[in-house]
Amino acid sequence: MSKRKARDAHLPVGECISQVQEILRKRLCNQQLPDRPEGVEAQHKHLLELLKRTAVHGESNSVLIVGPRGAGKTMLLKCVLRDLLMEKEAQKNLLQVHLNGLLQTDDRIALQEMTRQLHLENVVGDKVFGSFAENLNFLLEALKKGDRSSSRPVLFVLDEFDLFAHHKNQTLLYNLFDVSQSAQAPVAVVGVTCRLDVLELLEKRVKSRFSHRQIHVLSNPTFRQYLERVQTQLSLQPGDLPDDKFAQHWNVSIKTLCEDKSVEEALQRHYNSSKDFRSNHMLLMLCLSRVSVAKPAIKPADLLEASRMCFIDAEANMLHGLSILELCLIIAMKHLNDLYEGEPFNLQMVHNEFKKFLQRKSNSMYNFEQPVIMKAFEHLQQLEMIRPVDSSTAKTQREYQLMRLMLDHTQVMEALQKYPQCPTDVKQWAMSAFG
Amino acid sequence: MSTSSVSKGCFVFKPSAKKKKTLSLEDHFIHGCEGAEKSKTRFQLCQELWDQIKTDTELLQDELNRKILDSLLDFTRKCSSTRQHSDWASHMRASEIPTAALVLGVNVPDHDMTFQSLSELLQQSVTPHVASVQAKECVALKHLMKRVLERLLGTDVTVDDDDNEEEETEQTRANLHKSVHCSLSTLCDWYTTKTKKSVTPGKKRSSPVKDDLQQPPIVIIFKDLEAFNAKVLQDFILICSRYIERLPLMFIFGIATSPSTIQHMLPHSVSSLLCIELFQSLSCTQHLATVIDKLILTTWFPFKLNGKVMQVLISIFLYHDFSVRNFIKGVQLALLEHFHSQPLSVLCCRKKEAMLNVMQLGNHDLERIRQLPSFKRYVEKQEPQEQETLLKDDTHLKEVCQRLIKNLHKYHKNYYPTLRCLHTLTSSLPRYPLGKQIRELHLICLEKNVWENEEYHTAMKLLKMLAKDELISLLKKCVEILQHAKSKKIKRALLQLEAMLAKFKQLDTVATEPPPPAEESIISPVKNLQKKTDLFQLQKALLEMNESRRSKKLSPFEVLRNEALQFIDGLVQSHLSPPESQTLNEVCYYSSSATVRRHLNAAPRTSIQTALNSPFYYLQNDRLKTEDGTVSNAAPDICIVYKLHLECGRLINLFDWLEAFSTVVSAAEGNDPDSDSFGKVDDVKHARFIRAVSELEFLGFIKSTKQKTDHVARITWGGC
Amino acid sequence: MSALLQHPGYEEERLQTVAKQLPCREVQAGMLLSLMGQPHQYSYPSIFIYGHQSSGKSHVLHVLLKELELPHATVSCVECVSVALLFEQVLLSFFGCVAASLLPRSPSLSDFVRIYRQQSSQSPAKQTRYIVMEKAELLRDSNANLLPALLRLQELVEDNVSVILLSEIVWDRFRPNTGCFEPLLLHFPDYSKGELQHILAQDRNPSYSDEFYSAYINILLGVFYSVCRDLRELRHLAALNFSKFCEPLAEGKVKETDTHKLWRNIEPHLKKAMQTVYLREVSSLQWEKMQQMEEKENGALRGLSAHTHVELPYYSKFLLIAAYLASFNPARTDKRFFVKHHGKIKKTNFLKKNEKTSNHLLGPKPFPLDRLLAIFYSVVDSRVAPTASIFSQISSLVTLQLLTQVSHSEQLDAPKYKCAVSMDFICAISRTVNFEIIKYLYDFL
Repeated sequence: MSKRKARDAHLPVGECISQVQEILRKRLCNQQLPDRPEGVEAQHKHLLELLKRTAVHGESNSVLIVGPRGAGKTMLLKCVLRDLLMEKEAQKNLLQVHLNGLLQTDDRIALQEMTRQLHLENVVGDKVFGSFAENLNFLLEALKKGDRSSSRPVLFVLDEFDLFAHHKNQTLLYNLFDVSQSAQAPVAVVGVTCRLDVLELLEKRVKSRFSHRQIHVLSNPTFRQYLERVQTQLSLQPGDLPDDKFAQHWNVSIKTLCEDKSVEEALQRHYNSSKDFRSNHMLLMLCLSRVSVAKPAIKPADLLEASRMCFIDAEANMLHGLSILELCLIIAMKHLNDLYEGEPFNLQMVHNEFKKFLQRKSNSMYNFEQPVIMKAFEHLQQLEMIRPVDSSTAKTQREYQLMRLMLDHTQVMEALQKYPQCPTDVKQWAMSAFG
Repeated sequence: MSTSSVSKGCFVFKPSAKKKKTLSLEDHFIHGCEGAEKSKTRFQLCQELWDQIKTDTELLQDELNRKILDSLLDFTRKCSSTRQHSDWASHMRASEIPTAALVLGVNVPDHDMTFQSLSELLQQSVTPHVASVQAKECVALKHLMKRVLERLLGTDVTVDDDDNEEEETEQTRANLHKSVHCSLSTLCDWYTTKTKKSVTPGKKRSSPVKDDLQQPPIVIIFKDLEAFNAKVLQDFILICSRYIERLPLMFIFGIATSPSTIQHMLPHSVSSLLCIELFQSLSCTQHLATVIDKLILTTWFPFKLNGKVMQVLISIFLYHDFSVRNFIKGVQLALLEHFHSQPLSVLCCRKKEAMLNVMQLGNHDLERIRQLPSFKRYVEKQEPQEQETLLKDDTHLKEVCQRLIKNLHKYHKNYYPTLRCLHTLTSSLPRYPLGKQIRELHLICLEKNVWENEEYHTAMKLLKMLAKDELISLLKKCVEILQHAKSKKIKRALLQLEAMLAKFKQLDTVATEPPPPAEESIISPVKNLQKKTDLFQLQKALLEMNESRRSKKLSPFEVLRNEALQFIDGLVQSHLSPPESQTLNEVCYYSSSATVRRHLNAAPRTSIQTALNSPFYYLQNDRLKTEDGTVSNAAPDICIVYKLHLECGRLINLFDWLEAFSTVVSAAEGNDPDSDSFGKVDDVKHARFIRAVSELEFLGFIKSTKQKTDHVARITWGGC
Repeated sequence: MSALLQHPGYEEERLQTVAKQLPCREVQAGMLLSLMGQPHQYSYPSIFIYGHQSSGKSHVLHVLLKELELPHATVSCVECVSVALLFEQVLLSFFGCVAASLLPRSPSLSDFVRIYRQQSSQSPAKQTRYIVMEKAELLRDSNANLLPALLRLQELVEDNVSVILLSEIVWDRFRPNTGCFEPLLLHFPDYSKGELQHILAQDRNPSYSDEFYSAYINILLGVFYSVCRDLRELRHLAALNFSKFCEPLAEGKVKETDTHKLWRNIEPHLKKAMQTVYLREVSSLQWEKMQQMEEKENGALRGLSAHTHVELPYYSKFLLIAAYLASFNPARTDKRFFVKHHGKIKKTNFLKKNEKTSNHLLGPKPFPLDRLLAIFYSVVDSRVAPTASIFSQISSLVTLQLLTQVSHSEQLDAPKYKCAVSMDFICAISRTVNFEIIKYLYDFL
């Protein structure tokens, strides 16, 4: 017995690493649920007992979980459901219907999906229903137990709730809320949305049937909590790994990492930009991906690198890849923007501007003829650094189509600084205030 | 069959079989055409000529397209072959889609034939997989895909009747029908199975050609590139380029304007996927020239167009559409009209039949002949008793007619060779006094005696100044032309001409001593005349040249040259007289240009306006006859309304209009102006007014306006 | 370099082959690999890879997924005319054609997810499944929910799947206004000059030595690098001009090492290639032909844009000219140009100074039909009857794209048009009918 433990104790490093990877990836990528949701205990409690009432005592309810993206709404809900299903009673009664606004794009599809999730396809068979309400009622009826007295509680989870509000006169929402109001069958309707103004989207008749119960999930932890969260996210629970020594070792390394000054600064920056879980996960994922057998721990350098990758300016990257000619055109556009305060322009004007520059310099290395310019211009459009004002491309010749520059002044200038072997005269031209 | 019935009802009569037969082409022709008795024969003649035109033009078309089509075929072969063998360069280039840009000119109606023959040729010689698409049937990428796949797979089903092949394509068809599968990958699978099949026979008879075409290319023809939606085209090309390794795709762009449109339509990111080769078809003007040359300016084609009609057809071609097809349509129309309206057209045929037909002529026809202006003129020239007999004695008349017809044919036999000679001589002169194209010269000759207008004289003057070698070469050309002619006169002329040429030859054998200085002093001006640009200078030069000529004595060459030119002049004078001068020319020449113009170049707007302004023009009713400018109040309502609206400004008050209308109408009804009911608007008038106005709106003269509810706006300007 | 490409869970030699196939992209490949993790581990739900054209995005992915034999579906969004095609391809490559055939006639996202779930529950992923979307920018044009749904597909189907989007466009242009699951951004930087040199030098002509070819590449880059950094283009150019480069060698004038002579020989040639080949005005086949024939009739072969001449019927020409005038002159100037005895219009107040930009900079303006006709009748020398064929010519000019109809085609009473030909074109046309158009253009007074 003790022998085996001893043998386990010395797994090769690679093995441990891969296991660590696996565990942490589950957390960071697959959004594995934590044992207890941190930061949202109150909401957790509230929602749990709300649902319990439906599941156990057969009360109807409706509630919205509102919060910005990545704040952990879904996590909260999932935790609650997990804990709810611990209960025997709930487990054997409760039926769940999960709908997602992204998938069920209209009520017909939604209804089919419901039927499926309630395993009633064969019951419904090929009946035709006059109205949506009829159909829904039929479903609920069908759920009644043998004795017609009480029926099983149903939990409707509507993810991306706001999208359901765009369905044709909100039939689904209306009916669900209606059922939840009238005591015909115990249902709980839980909407999850990231729009704080979601109630404005609801029609009056729908709104009136909604119990204005909202649970707000805004994770704004203090920086301390944020740091802690990072640490917990990265560190291993005891028992995750057979090799405890390595586990401890790992945790220690994480701890030291979080105490590092530079790391703290970096995290501070992230904290200021966004406090939610998702962005946090992304950052940590990037760190994790740099862990390998060669360096079996996350070093401050890794985290810094990762945060750099998060904060990188994509536009600058793309500008870096342009050819000199294209860069020149961009500069010309910038000048045009400065001149005519953001009026749209067409290729002719840009070319004209560029020509002015060439006349002033008079070295012949840049004088390309129209088609080459056109090609460059098209490439810029393809990269959507410039966009046509109106989408009717077929109507006008390409050289006259009005465009807008999608970059701002500073971006261009910075890109210019970073540009490899950028000719000085072009630089000066870009600097010069007059076109 | 009578139907007597008390109640109102409609009775259906099944048309009997014989009734149907009466609706044949021929009877349409015969029905209501002049001089019914000979109409059958006329119809036959017409039919023959019609078919002849059709076949000949098609042959011509193929001849003209031969070159370009062949080069296209070579192109496709080359592409499909280069795909197989893999030298370094072609390997590097494998990613491009070979594309042929076929420039056909703006006369779009003519293109169909070309594409038809092209795809046929391709299918015969290069590859079975040819799909041709038009813009209007693929508005979106989906449709384009669908069309292409259908054409490719579909044609295949019809082509071979190999049964397992059959069901294989059947199932591809099956999932074609649910257009979800409408993607190139489907085509890929189909193609691979197809080629696998076709390889094995290839192995059996392993001819180099066969295994060269083991992978026959898939050719997609875009008939009208300009009309395509650019976005659709781009996407399609992008998709195709992803499959180019697996599918030997190939495009053919049918371009009406110019190759640069490709670059206008496709951004370079797309056009860089193509390997474009250019194919220029010959211009439609050349095409027309050949058609005229082969069809109109020939002796064997009895039916002729007179100057005006010719003018109309050509101007339609040059000014409006460069469509040779329409030109031929015009000729056919003229042909039909001629045979339909001119009873004597029975004589418009080959000489022999004509002779027979003359004998067949009934006395109606003979009367008609006597009425012919040209014949009248002829009669006047004869002595009295000859005139007598001509007007009385039918048999004599017939003989005369035969002679005259013979003459007419002779005339043609002489006319065309001479015309060509003259053209060859003059077409190379500076500033083309008699036109560059032979058709222009032809027109001049048709109009009046060519030797009477001064362009001819300038031309002659210029010819008089030609250098020896130039002249000789030209004359040689003439000789070649004349050699083809059959008539005796021309043969005689030919002999003379050859004799002259011989003399010229002797001249330079004899002229061992250096040629007199006069010569180059005369030749040189012509040389720099070529460069002369404005007419005035030219004439001046000519004048002083004549001065100089008078002053000095002529060298033997010049003597000979003048002789030759005099000879040519004589030839022209004797043979190039306009057809109107010929007796019985009405038989062969179609002259009513107005009809042709009306049919081919309609002016709907003007005809509507004339209809509204003077209804009498169309409905020949004497009550409508008025002195110009005014409309009788008995005219149809719409005419009255129109007339009234011409007097209004941009906005017309409907009520005033109605008032005016009702007064006019009640005046027409003739109830007395004093009675108080006069000019009253009753329901009937009101209704009529409304209808007239709405008709006017329908014709696009007025439209309702937002500004004032009880007003309408005029769309046309002016009027009064 | 292949040291970067070490990762547990994959065989060594496989990685080696991968590394060989990805010159100058080891960093990115390594990065990607480490994000993907070991086959059985979870990968990040959605990864967004952006970078310039032919910076090896899809190439890297393709090689990785193929060589390492990971389950993957590659979809090019250009090809997906309908979302149905997309779904079909994914299901096909993961679960075989049976699953694909389960899709209904016009499937919704919900159907797709449903089928995916039931399939994956039957055969759960032992390895991460990858869905690669090329040209992902096109996803935005189709169904609005498609992109957000794909981004969180892993969550929706509860399967170890990861969606990888490839695009030339930065992520900021993708983000829907209500936000969505943020993918992990990864940038593929463009090849540096050195890297280009390195890569291009690899596909050398077998019949010549390495350094000779790389010298050639060096010269080529010297000419084109400032305009074009697209690997594909450069490769194409290299392939086409190489034979020319070798010419003096074949003639034995110079030896391989004498780079300077070779340079002097090729340099002007490449300059020419810049205009013709780079713009694809001359097809590669023709270009090669051109090299076979000597300089003497090199001028004979002209590019596509050289063939701008169009034969038009007489009146069509005048119609076109009229259209050009109508769309480049302000309407108020017509009186001055086309009325024979216009009253006293002083040049000073006729030329408005406030219009600083010329119309040829702003492009053509639309004009109504009757203005076109009015100008046409005053411009054309002879008197023309308004016959049907005149109007039909207008419409045919539209189909030939020389005019464009601006108003909707169902608006019959006052159609508006725009002239779509260039200055040079119209000048050429008007020269053929000797009408000096410059006199009638407001911009050139």
